[in-house]
Amino acid sequence: MKSGSMAASGSKRSFIQFLRDGKTQRALTIVLFLLIPLVLLIGFTYLPFAEMVRFSFYNRDYLSEGTFVGLKNYVEVFSRTEIFGTLLVSLYYMGGAVVQLFLALFFASMMVFKAKGSAIYKACMFFPYLIGGIAVGFIFKFFYAHGYVLDTLLGLFGIALEDCPLWLQDTKINNIALVATSVWRYTGQNMVMFLGAMMSVDSDLYEAASLDGATRWQQFKYIILPSIKTIIVLNLILSFSGSLSAFEPPYVITNGMMGTGTYFVIMNRLAHENQKVGLACAMAVVLLGIIVLCTVAQNLFFDYVFKDTREEAAAKRAAKRQKRLAAAGK
Amino acid sequence: MKKLISILLALLMVLSLAACGNSGETADGGAAQDGGASDGASGDGAASELPSINDITLGEDYTDITAEIKILTNRTDIIDTVYAGYTQQFMELYPNITVTYEGITDYEESLTLRLKTGDWGDICFIPTSVSKDQMPNYFISFGSYEELDPIYNFISDKSFEGQVYGIANGGTADGVLYNKAVWEAAGITEMPGTPEEFLEDLQTIKDNTDAIPLYTNFAAGWTMGAWDAYIWVAATGDPDFHSNIVHMANPFSDRGDQTGPYAVYYTLYEAVSRGLIEDDPMSTDWESSKGRMNNGEIATMVLGSWAVNQVRDAGPNEDDIGYMPFPITVDGQRYAGSGGNYAYGINCKATTDNQIASMLYVKWLVEESPMFEDEGSIPALKSAPMPDVLEAFDGVILMSNNPAPEGEETLFDDVNLESEVGLNADDYPDAYIVEAALTGSQTLDEIMDDWNAKWSSAQETLGVEVNQ
Repeated sequence: MKSGSMAASGSKRSFIQFLRDGKTQRALTIVLFLLIPLVLLIGFTYLPFAEMVRFSFYNRDYLSEGTFVGLKNYVEVFSRTEIFGTLLVSLYYMGGAVVQLFLALFFASMMVFKAKGSAIYKACMFFPYLIGGIAVGFIFKFFYAHGYVLDTLLGLFGIALEDCPLWLQDTKINNIALVATSVWRYTGQNMVMFLGAMMSVDSDLYEAASLDGATRWQQFKYIILPSIKTIIVLNLILSFSGSLSAFEPPYVITNGMMGTGTYFVIMNRLAHENQKVGLACAMAVVLLGIIVLCTVAQNLFFDYVFKDTREEAAAKRAAKRQKRLAAAGK
Repeated sequence: MKKLISILLALLMVLSLAACGNSGETADGGAAQDGGASDGASGDGAASELPSINDITLGEDYTDITAEIKILTNRTDIIDTVYAGYTQQFMELYPNITVTYEGITDYEESLTLRLKTGDWGDICFIPTSVSKDQMPNYFISFGSYEELDPIYNFISDKSFEGQVYGIANGGTADGVLYNKAVWEAAGITEMPGTPEEFLEDLQTIKDNTDAIPLYTNFAAGWTMGAWDAYIWVAATGDPDFHSNIVHMANPFSDRGDQTGPYAVYYTLYEAVSRGLIEDDPMSTDWESSKGRMNNGEIATMVLGSWAVNQVRDAGPNEDDIGYMPFPITVDGQRYAGSGGNYAYGINCKATTDNQIASMLYVKWLVEESPMFEDEGSIPALKSAPMPDVLEAFDGVILMSNNPAPEGEETLFDDVNLESEVGLNADDYPDAYIVEAALTGSQTLDEIMDDWNAKWSSAQETLGVEVNQ
C-alpha cells in the first residue's frame, strides 16, 4: 500500500514503470526472498511457542480446551522435588560434554598434523553423528545388555560375566553409561568443527614454529588454541544446553527408569501418559528460562576470561611500543 | 529504501499474525459449532439418516452405495497380508465400496493429533486419549446402548449418554501366560490360586529347572503397565470396582486376605525381591522373549490373552503354551477380567455415504470376518464361541468392568490422571515397583501409602465424595 501511494505521489509514472525501476526490483526481491523463511519461522516456531506459553497457564489435556489456572502450573513445577531433581541427572551430561570437548580437541589436533590415514579416521569418528538418535539408542541397548557386546569384550580381557556390573541397572553407573553414548555420538561432530577451524590457521605459522623448535604441545598451546577459541566456546554452549534437554538416550535405552529420567523424559511422561499438557508446557517454559540463564552465565564467564588475555596482550604491545620509543629516543 | 523494506516487513508480519489469529479463531468456532451440531444431531437428525448397526443386514442393505473408505490401524505388520485379504472378501459382498488401510506406527500419539483436524479418514481405532465426553465430537453413534448391549461385548467402555460410539475389535481375558512343559518339569501339578502359592511355584521352578521363573519384560515399559489390568475384576470379583475406586479412601491398602490391588502388586514386588525374575530387567527384549518362552527358557509372563497366539507362533512348541487365570481367589471363587481391544470409531465429519459404508465394513469385520479366530481373541459378538485359548478358565467367572454411573463417566480418568497413579495409563508407577524391589529403596507398603496419598489428594482437588 505504502509503495503504491509513494509511486502515485511521485512524477506521474505508470505502475509498470514503477515495477521496472531498479530500486523497486531490488526491494521486491528482498521482500519476496524474505517472505518464505519469515512465514516458515513465524508459522512453525513463534506461533507454536506463543501457544505453548498460553497452554502453560491452563489445566488441559490434548483434546479439550481446559480451564485457566493462572500460575498454578508454575508453582507445581517449582514445588515438586522430582521435577527439579532431574536437573541433577543433567549434571552427568554436562560432565560428559566437557569430556567430549577434550576428546574432540585431542583428535582434531592429532589430525591437523597430517597423521597417516587421517581421512579414514575422520570418517570413522564422524560416522556416529550420522546415525539417528533412536538408532543409537537401540545399538547401545544391546551393547550394554547383560552378557552382550560390552560384557563379551570385557570377557576377552579375562573379566568373568559375574563380575561385570549391570550397566543400565546399577544406579551408580547407569547414567555414566548413558552419557557415554551421547559422547560417542557427538565427539566426531565436535571434532570436525574444530578441525575446520584449525585448518583455517595459516600453515606457514606451523612451519615457522617448528623451524623455531616449538614442540607439538607448544604449537597447540600458542597457535591453535588462541585461533579456535570462539569455536570452543560455541561448542561448549551448544553441548551444555544440549545436556539440559537430553532426551533420546534415557528415553530409548532405559525409558527413564532407575534414576535415569532427565527433565525431558519427565516432561514427556506428564504430557503423554498423564495428559497434563498445561503442566508440561510450564516445564518447557521453565527449561527455556534455565537454558537462557546458563547461556548468559557462560557468555559472561568467557567474556571475563578472554578479557584478561586480551588486556594482557594489549598491555604487552603497549609496553613494547614504549620500549621501542624509548630506544629510538636514545 | 531501508525504511521501505522495514515497513513492508513489519506490515507483513502483522498481517500474517492477524491472519493466523483469525483463521485460528474461525477454525475453533467452526469446530465448536460442529461439536454442538453433532451433539444435538445424535439425538434426532442423524439418527433418521444413519442406520443403527443392529438394523443392517449385511449383503442386502445398501448394496447400491458407492464409496471409498480409509481405515487407520496400528497393525502395520499385517496390512498387506491379513487385512488385504479381509478387504477382498468384503468387496465380494459390496463391490462398489473400496476399502484402503493406512498403518500408523506410534498410533496413539499421531492419531490424537490427527483427530483434531477432522480429515483423517473414515474408520479408526479410538485412541485411549479420547475421553468419553469427547467421543460425540469425533465419532458417530452406532446405536443406543440398550439395543446393542445384548448383541456385542465390551461396548460399555465406548458408550456415552446412552449412545455407543465404538465397537470393540474383540477382547482379551486377563490371565497369566505360562509354559506348561516347564511347569510340569518343575513338578508342579496344581495351578496356584493365591499370590503366595504362585510365588512358591516360581521358587520351585527356579530350584528345579534352568528356566527364568517370571520374565518381567521390564524394559519395554507397557509390559509393566499391563499389571494394572489385574487389580479390577480378577483381584476383587467386583465388576463395579472400577467405578467405585474413585470414591474409595485408600484403595491400595493391604486387605490382609491376599485380594485387592495390593495383592497384585505384592505378587510383582515379591517376585522381584525374592529373585524370581531375569538377572537384568533393564536389558529385556520383548520380541525375543516370545521365542524364549516358546522354547522353555522362560516359564511365566503376566500378559493379556492376546499374547498367547504370538508366543505360540514364535517357535515350534505351540502346544506347550498355556494360559491361566491370575492367582487370586476371592471368597473361594476365581475371577478374571476381560476387556475390549481398541474399538472401531467412525468419523462424524465424513460424508453420510462414507459413514454408512464404514458401518457396513465394521459390521462385516466384527460379525463375518475370520478376524477373531486369526487373533485368538474373544469375539465382539456375544453369541460367538469363545477361543480355545481360554480352556483353562473353566469355572472361572469372566466379567468386564461395568460402565460408570451416569454423570461420572469421566470421573475415573480425571482422578487417575490427576493423581498420576496412572492405572492403565502410565507404565512408570508399575515399573517403579520393580525398581524399588530391586534396589530395596522402598517397601511395597511405602509405595502403596504413597499411591493412596496421591489418590486422596486428587480426590480432594477434584472435589470427589469419598466413602469410608
